Amino acid sequence: MQPTSSMKEEFLQKWQMGLQIYRPLIDNTSVSERMKAIKLSADVAMASLRRGTTCWSRALIQKTATEDNFLVRQMLSGIKAETLINKKLPKVMCHRKIVRRSKKILRRRKSRSAIEEVAAKARKLVNKKTQGLRNVVPGGEFMSNDVLLIQETLDYIVSLQTQVNVMRSIVDAAEAGSER
Amino acid sequence: MMMNGGEATEAELFLNCDDMSVLERQRVQLNYHQYHHPGFEPTLPCFFPNSSKMNVGEVDSFLPSAGLDLPEIYGELHGDARISVSPGNITTEFGNSKKRKFGCVDTETKVCNEKKKMMMMMDREVAVEEEEEEKSKVTEQCTRSIMKMKNKAKKEQNSCSNDSSKVTKDSQRTDYIHVRARRGQATDSHSIAERARREKISGRMKFLQDLVPGCEKITGKAGMLDEIINYVQSLQRQVEFLSMKLATVSPRLDFNIDDIFSKEVVSAPMMNLPNTVMPPHMMVNSGYPHDMVNSGYVHFNPMQQVVTSSDPLSCFNNGQSATMWDSEVQNLYTV
Repeated sequence: MQPTSSMKEEFLQKWQMGLQIYRPLIDNTSVSERMKAIKLSADVAMASLRRGTTCWSRALIQKTATEDNFLVRQMLSGIKAETLINKKLPKVMCHRKIVRRSKKILRRRKSRSAIEEVAAKARKLVNKKTQGLRNVVPGGEFMSNDVLLIQETLDYIVSLQTQVNVMRSIVDAAEAGSER
Repeated sequence: MMMNGGEATEAELFLNCDDMSVLERQRVQLNYHQYHHPGFEPTLPCFFPNSSKMNVGEVDSFLPSAGLDLPEIYGELHGDARISVSPGNITTEFGNSKKRKFGCVDTETKVCNEKKKMMMMMDREVAVEEEEEEKSKVTEQCTRSIMKMKNKAKKEQNSCSNDSSKVTKDSQRTDYIHVRARRGQATDSHSIAERARREKISGRMKFLQDLVPGCEKITGKAGMLDEIINYVQSLQRQVEFLSMKLATVSPRLDFNIDDIFSKEVVSAPMMNLPNTVMPPHMMVNSGYPHDMVNSGYVHFNPMQQVVTSSDPLSCFNNGQSATMWDSEVQNLYTV
């Protein structure tokens, strides 16, 4: 699934709305402030495209709400804002030390064979990678199973692609404008 | 080819999926099913030739009152109307939560992977209109795959009578997906559930392979995950970089959309040509005056090259969409 033009339009609309909120506040502020404004409004716009159906979008909105509550409330109309911001996502707690220790004990008891060892190593590697993916995707820690994680990643990638496409075209157009 | 089509629709269904609470999901699905399938017909026997009479009788008496039982069922997390699967019935399947399903598999010994996939798909459906067409395609393929399963399926090993008492007790609270094991594979419920899960994961990974550029040759899970992580990180860095560039280009955050779009339309024909993939990149390279960005800029170059080759360069892949977008945005601005 590639980013469709309707998605891009919607994203652009929402993003512009967010930027409108910032416009009166930012007149002669620094580049970093502006960048933050742009990025935050773009993130919220991207996440709001999914209307709270995906885990990553909710986590992303919560994350930006911690940085700029006002913006999020303004950008998301009404009820949704309240529920999305205040909802606490269930966190998958894994006390890594305890888990590691118990795995070591299990390993000592198990009889080893070459094939098993290789399989175990491969599994460990895959688990490490999925943990890495959880770190990258917003809200990954809350996704308890792998299938959900991969689904969310799919959706997240498509939304990121939309965001990048729109932003890049705006940048190119703005530059072309400033050069002429 | 068929299955590919099915998978594509599956993906879209899953892309709309959510992890709403089990109650919400069930509610939505029941509404959907009640709306779309008012004539509910339980047709058990064809699929379960060995099922005990009590089973059948139980279900027959149970189902007509399914509507009445619903409020009770909502009280419990695991409540769904009990339905067994049969080819004609697949469309009226009530959803389960995943946990529930795997729990039920322990008490039922018949497992069917493909059917489970379809059922999982139906689990995830929120009543969106776009999904209706896809659902009809899905149910067709579902019935076809079930036919295949029937031909392939082993005879069941455990008698239903043993489970019947459990079933009657639980029937009002839990739901069962009767599935069959594939030919020549272990019938252990755990391994079957695991296999279903693994197949799901590998199916999703295939979609990811299509999305992430340059992944056609990578075959392991670990390698694929690596690529995915790198790609997501590069996209995120691109967003940051682009926002920084935007911040420097426009000091007042007004992008003059109308201006931008009129110029975009003019330059759109240029961007359509395949060999102009590079120029914006080079434009950015050469003419950029600000010092602040230059230092960070070289760093980002390789990434941009990677992405420009894969992404269609601009959103305006044809001039038509550009003009359409232009008018759309202008409407926005007149409001």
